[in-house]
Amino acid sequence: MSRLGKFCGAFALATTLLVNGGQVNAQDSSAAQGGGGPAVAAAAPAAGGGGDVAKGKELFTNNCQQCHNTSEVALVGPGLKGVRQRTPSADWLHKWIRNSSAVVASGDAYAVKIYNQYNKVQMSSFPNLTDKDIDGILDYIDSESAPKAAVAATPAGGAASGGTTTAAASSGPSELFTLVLVALLVVMLLVLGVLFVIVNILSKAVSPQAVGLDSTTPTVPLVQRLREGLTNTVSNSTVRSVAIWLFLFVATKMSIDGLYSIGIQQGYAPKQPIAYSHKLHAGQYKIDCNYCHTGVNKGKSATIPAANICMNCHGVIKKESPEIQKIYAAIENNQPIEWIRVHNLPDLAYFNHAQHVNVGNVQCQSCHGEIQKMEVVEQRSSLTMGWCIDCHRKTEVNTKDNAYYDKLVALHRKESREPLKVANIGGLECSKCHY
Amino acid sequence: MKFNHIALLAVGTFGTLLLSSCGDDHNDTGTQYAPQMYDAVGYEPYRQVKANTINPYGLNMRDPARGTVARPNYHTSFGKGDSTTKDLMIYNIPKDSIAIAERTLVNPIASNAANLDEGKILYGRFCIHCHGENGKGDGLVGKEYAGVPNYSVGDYKTMNDGHIFHVITHGKGRMWPHGSQMTPEERWKIVLYVHKLQQG
Repeated sequence: MSRLGKFCGAFALATTLLVNGGQVNAQDSSAAQGGGGPAVAAAAPAAGGGGDVAKGKELFTNNCQQCHNTSEVALVGPGLKGVRQRTPSADWLHKWIRNSSAVVASGDAYAVKIYNQYNKVQMSSFPNLTDKDIDGILDYIDSESAPKAAVAATPAGGAASGGTTTAAASSGPSELFTLVLVALLVVMLLVLGVLFVIVNILSKAVSPQAVGLDSTTPTVPLVQRLREGLTNTVSNSTVRSVAIWLFLFVATKMSIDGLYSIGIQQGYAPKQPIAYSHKLHAGQYKIDCNYCHTGVNKGKSATIPAANICMNCHGVIKKESPEIQKIYAAIENNQPIEWIRVHNLPDLAYFNHAQHVNVGNVQCQSCHGEIQKMEVVEQRSSLTMGWCIDCHRKTEVNTKDNAYYDKLVALHRKESREPLKVANIGGLECSKCHY
Repeated sequence: MKFNHIALLAVGTFGTLLLSSCGDDHNDTGTQYAPQMYDAVGYEPYRQVKANTINPYGLNMRDPARGTVARPNYHTSFGKGDSTTKDLMIYNIPKDSIAIAERTLVNPIASNAANLDEGKILYGRFCIHCHGENGKGDGLVGKEYAGVPNYSVGDYKTMNDGHIFHVITHGKGRMWPHGSQMTPEERWKIVLYVHKLQQG
């Protein structure tokens, strides 16, 4: 089950990688076309204001790209393909880009229409852009959208290569899947073959011919021979005593292990009400642990984020996903999301996150394992007292830039040459954690 | 008779395998020896052993009363000696009054290397994944989120203390409020660092 899960995860990851790779390729090729299409770009400035396309590209990347595409696709604001043709005048565009809110406030019909159409989001003002800068940006937008039309007309060269990349990317995942399947099949067949060989050898070993009784008599059926062989082995007293001792040993070991595991939840990885993946958020997107677990530097508990923190991103990203919809439902019904606690430290032991993370500068991963690689959070450490004490014995105290420790360090230096460990400042005292 | 032994052995092996495979259930916390020592007697906010009969949804946790300010976490005086400034750090300016924030607020925290370093750490925790390492709006999440501005261009370059503080607290445009995740002091330290990023 877990292996299947891993396999699916790996497959999904591979698919995303491939698809993303495909997008990157497609973008690269379009950029190459943009670069390779100065003829079209050169024609555009004549129609426009004679701006600088290269400078326009730079300005677009710095100022506009965050909210606008050069294609028809709307991002936060409208897609800018053909913006010159659809807006009232060049002068209007200059005014709008420098201070759109003033144009909206002036009651300009087109401005108000656009403002309302895009959810009344105020476009940022760019008062420092000159007319020439703006023309450069507009020329760049034209040069970005124009070559695509030219490419559509002449399906050769760059367009063909761009097309093939996308096609290869889209058929990529299924090819990979087939490959994996074939590889698995081959491995299975090999295992089957080896098993067959083993059975053959075994059957020869236990068959009367191998002992040399009679090599010419027709062979007894395999199952019967196996059964006879096994009965002989089982009735052998040495084999029996070895088996009994082995059984006793394994049973004792298992019961001792079982007893020791009482109250230890290592490996506990409960299914959560929402399939939140730390691998995606903390691993792929590198969102800091602190962003959601805001208490980790300040208090005893690292805190579980309230739904408002999820909404900081998911107010926009992946709103339609069924898992995200669960958060929406919780917020709309004012209902708590009942996450299942993974790390259950017994009440008889006190643990404080701030003390370890903020003061001690201990990384989250040293206790929680590689959270950034976990699809489902699992308790990696045993959280036993032995585990705590072991770390307190080994870990040096983070005394750097912390005046609280100055005298302790000085006193410790008088007695020992070893660096100051947690155990030296009472890290092994019972009452530090049990009170 | 002898065949029975084999059957017994087979059943035994199969049974052991079956039992040991059950031990791997990831949804099971396993046996507890003394639950009365493990489970808190008092109400714990993040541990719910049995349903609470008083609170809604049977939870131990409750929303704090509206307008509650967690005082122990807050510093109120900043700087040393004569340059000490007092700031109660209660932020009452409502979301739609960003202009008031721009006019009236001044960062109570001194702009020095130590505070700037802390601001950088806090920026790394709370802002970097959208706004990017250099505030260009090119963070890993920001690319997907879209509409994250570049701090060092246009009118973003000159946005003042009050504006930045207000936006962190209440959000603006596509950005959602982040006031619940940081104390005002932390937000002011981030403001310091954002000013550095505005310089490009």
